[in-house]
Amino acid sequence: MVVMPRRKRKQFFVRRKVCRFCVDTEQIIDFKDVNTLKQFVTERGKIIPRRISGNCARHQRQLTRAIKQARLLALMPYTPPLPMA
Amino acid sequence: MRRYESVWVVNGDLPDEEVKATIDKFSQIITSQGGILVGVDDWGRKKLAYKIRGTLRGYYLAAQFAGEPTLVQELERNYRIDDRVIRYLTIKRAEHVDLEALQAEIAARAAAPPPPPTEVESDVEAAVDTAAGPESPEGGVISPESSVSGESATPTHPQED
Repeated sequence: MVVMPRRKRKQFFVRRKVCRFCVDTEQIIDFKDVNTLKQFVTERGKIIPRRISGNCARHQRQLTRAIKQARLLALMPYTPPLPMA
Repeated sequence: MRRYESVWVVNGDLPDEEVKATIDKFSQIITSQGGILVGVDDWGRKKLAYKIRGTLRGYYLAAQFAGEPTLVQELERNYRIDDRVIRYLTIKRAEHVDLEALQAEIAARAAAPPPPPTEVESDVEAAVDTAAGPESPEGGVISPESSVSGESATPTHPQED
């Protein structure tokens, strides 16, 4: 988002993103837990980057892995299903 | 010995007897290769997220066991041979196993068998549809647009003009 740079300084609210897996240590990332995993993919099935999701490096890595495992087992799509013609 | 979890997907168009036959077959392979089978989880029939070998239905089964890496090799070799199996995935859960804890786990499973699967409980396609919301995965994540919107509203006191 480009804000017109007048002489006013750009006022961004950078909300500190926190890794939800660090907050909730009870939650473990697993390929079986599709409901959690699907929160971290776009509607096109792409994995949401860390920059957007706010996950820490370690958990993003685990998450990516779990998503790919789930895809292999057809628990999650690689790409969304085509609408029926 | 290592702790493993091995999931295999049986073609969902096959009758239940065929599916159950794979449980016996692979359990037997695990035990015959010196592995300790803790149990086989039955996830039931699920809709696949995409077609595999012309079918959209799969029967998911997961074996929890301990064994040596060679056992996994042998098990996966058999998955590949068996035409009923359309997908498999073996995951190492732990590098070492505590045999006593393992026995306790087996006993616990025998006492309280895991609940039977609810048929087609999680429809993969439905799961995709609900995931189709915008790319805001969590409450804590703020999208760039919303963070900019406060630009004029915020009282930025030291006005330079």
